[in-house]
Amino acid sequence: MSLDNLILLTGRTISQGVALEGGKASRENVRACGICTFDADDFKKLDCIVGTPVKIITDYGEVVVYSTITEEGPHQGIIFVPMGPWANQLVNPSSQGCGTPTYKGMKAKVEVVKSGKVLGAIELIGRLKEA
Amino acid sequence: MAEIKLKIKKKLDFPLETDSITPDNFAGKTAAVIKKLPLFYATKQVTIGDFFDVSGKSTDVADTKIVIDGDVSNVKRIGEKMTGGEIIINSDIGMHIGNHMSGGKITVNGNADDWAGAMLQGGELEITGDAGHYVGSAYRGYWQGMKNGTIKVKGKVGVESMLWAKSSKPSNKWPTLYCGSADSFLGIHNHGGTIVVEGDVDRCVGADQAWGNIVIKGKVSRLLPSYKKVGEVKEVQLPNGEVIKGKFIEYSGDHTIKKETNGRLYIAA
Amino acid sequence: MVEKIRTEKDVSCPFCGTLCDDLEIDVDIKTDLVVEVRNGCQIGTKKYFSSNPSDHRYMKPLIKVNGEHKEVSWDEALDKAADILVNAQRPLLYGFSSTECEAQSKGVELAEMLNALLDNTASVCHGPSLLAIQDVGASLATLGEIKNRADTIIFWGSNPVHAHPRHLSRYSDFIRGYFRTDGRNDRNIIVVDPRNTHTAQIADKYIKVNPSEDYELIQAIRAVLRGSELDVKEVSGVPIDDIKELVEELKSCNFGVVFFGMGLTQSLAHHRNVDTAIRLVAELNDYTKFVLIPMRGHYNVAGANQVFTWNTGYAYSIDFSRGYPRYNPGEFSSVELLLRDEVDASLIVASDPGSNFPAASVKNLFKHPLISIEPHKTPTSAFADVILPAAIAGIECEGTAYRMDGVPLRLRKVKDAPGETLPDKEILERLIEKVKEKIGE
Repeated sequence: MSLDNLILLTGRTISQGVALEGGKASRENVRACGICTFDADDFKKLDCIVGTPVKIITDYGEVVVYSTITEEGPHQGIIFVPMGPWANQLVNPSSQGCGTPTYKGMKAKVEVVKSGKVLGAIELIGRLKEA
Repeated sequence: MAEIKLKIKKKLDFPLETDSITPDNFAGKTAAVIKKLPLFYATKQVTIGDFFDVSGKSTDVADTKIVIDGDVSNVKRIGEKMTGGEIIINSDIGMHIGNHMSGGKITVNGNADDWAGAMLQGGELEITGDAGHYVGSAYRGYWQGMKNGTIKVKGKVGVESMLWAKSSKPSNKWPTLYCGSADSFLGIHNHGGTIVVEGDVDRCVGADQAWGNIVIKGKVSRLLPSYKKVGEVKEVQLPNGEVIKGKFIEYSGDHTIKKETNGRLYIAA
Repeated sequence: MVEKIRTEKDVSCPFCGTLCDDLEIDVDIKTDLVVEVRNGCQIGTKKYFSSNPSDHRYMKPLIKVNGEHKEVSWDEALDKAADILVNAQRPLLYGFSSTECEAQSKGVELAEMLNALLDNTASVCHGPSLLAIQDVGASLATLGEIKNRADTIIFWGSNPVHAHPRHLSRYSDFIRGYFRTDGRNDRNIIVVDPRNTHTAQIADKYIKVNPSEDYELIQAIRAVLRGSELDVKEVSGVPIDDIKELVEELKSCNFGVVFFGMGLTQSLAHHRNVDTAIRLVAELNDYTKFVLIPMRGHYNVAGANQVFTWNTGYAYSIDFSRGYPRYNPGEFSSVELLLRDEVDASLIVASDPGSNFPAASVKNLFKHPLISIEPHKTPTSAFADVILPAAIAGIECEGTAYRMDGVPLRLRKVKDAPGETLPDKEILERLIEKVKEKIGE
């Protein structure tokens, strides 16, 4: 199942903050940041259980993360990924000349990938280092 | 017209800053002298001769024409502060082209990077391709930007073009931008600039405009709620004397600013 | 009785821009391990505990040899780092936000010596706020004023429950103040956000704004405030009647404040969102007292802006390549420079661009030599060529930090730095000496 015409927001969560202080290479960090939070009604359309890996695709990249349902809704049409290595595969690097990338507001689409693998932070960022 | 030809002879890994390349700096100099003028590459001071083949010679400023060939897409600040003469660039050009220019003409046969014609005080800048962000804009921290002169961009201009433009009726100074289309915040904080767009513009055109005239022949993606429809016109008379014919809906704005705005926005009917 | 625990009181927490100064830290005297943290939020508490040695805390300098990090002496590591910087044509010094002011000052000194690019994390965070302030000024106040006076508090594009967890209890919501003796009941909390965040859920009013359309909404509020009639039914998803009601609420309060965050700076329009918010606050002062305060993310990014400004005249995105400081966000911002691949070596201090920069820029960051001054293993340090292990400022070394409202507070040292770690300031001083030797000063 997939969802189209979504808007991706990124930002801080308290779990993400605790995880980043606790060790960015940790499993805790993956569970805190390698996730995508959906509006409850939007999530029903994906027809999968909470925790199923989903692939998020924007014009700037794609990444596989775990799916969850928001506690900060309703926000139909909006998905939220905590700031960090997973979100940064998706954000708009352009700053329109001001220097600060556009981390919020990208158009996105989501596909369920039941057997998708959510990578750890070091492995994910390690892919950006060419051999 | 005395012509000086420059051809870039090295591939650039870093930006090359060439504020010494102006008709003012070349006037009265031979190619040999011009070759010794300073440029900046990364953190090193170099010379024009290190990076360009130079031929020809110049006379006075007004009659000096500089023609630049080769890939100068990462060359910044050509034409900075020039007061006369002509520069022709046959490639894409880097940031800050013609900044603070007060006279003369620059033609870019290609695209321009950000800050093209920033702080323009006069003269003419023509770009046959697209331009980046901040075309004809004020630099950071300045509350008055382009004060006179004309910029023509055939293609699209980036965000915040003509930021803080300032005209002067007593001095008959009308900073003007002509462009094919524009990104968001065209004419933000406008204090008298004239803008004519052949095609479409993105959101927030004329944001915080205090006075000035913006003419859009295409569509506006989202008009600010603080703009008010005044009526319909069959032509627009610009303060620089030009008349634009066609049916336009006239709006006044931006009614967000505290004092009463004299700004006008015309959108094709 | 033998004392087993040493308690440090009134400790300033080195996590977020709220810079809480009331933490109590218990340290085991024998092992020098943090054993308890009182008054801190979850994140601050975790930070103190993370200073205890662990498998992701660097204890010795490391150099990458054949793809593996190898332990070396300080001398060898500093020598290699200095070599990288001196041989680079256009080095970038970035970060500085999670360390104290004296270290930041050394960073400026080093950047100037190398004619380098110098930037701090404001570049990806509240840089747009600084740009806006440079254009239109700002009516600011300290957090103490908010605690004691504010009866209308707006959180715009900011979610303090998650990002500044004790902000509401110490300064902006629940706390009793001199003129707000009934605490929460004396305050009117308004949240503007595309999502019904946890902060919105405990507010008095939640305004749902369409993502990336804050600018139009603030323009509409300003227009209604000055008496303009708007000919629309809604702006940015907010009904015009709600906008009119909000304006009346803001005009009639005693002391209002707008706290704003990444919702404004990281969305389209960036600094123009902040520009119009600042103008709104200024215009509200025709009716009542209104101020605004940016919700700074890191505990000392404001300090980095201060220190860079005292020394160079500019707060961030600075270029020394022509022998004197120049400033132009966009042109000299770290992410833009990396996207254009215009940097050929980097020194990353007290920050983690590997995690926090867009992927395309991190790709180019990793193409060139990278030196990381960092206490922990992060997606930046894991790929560094040289790792210089740092003591954690505010835990293992003292210094000054600036709170989000510009108030400087002293950071305390509650325990010794473990292993061979050194304070950032000392690492940078030693690096400066090495660089001086190599460039023959």
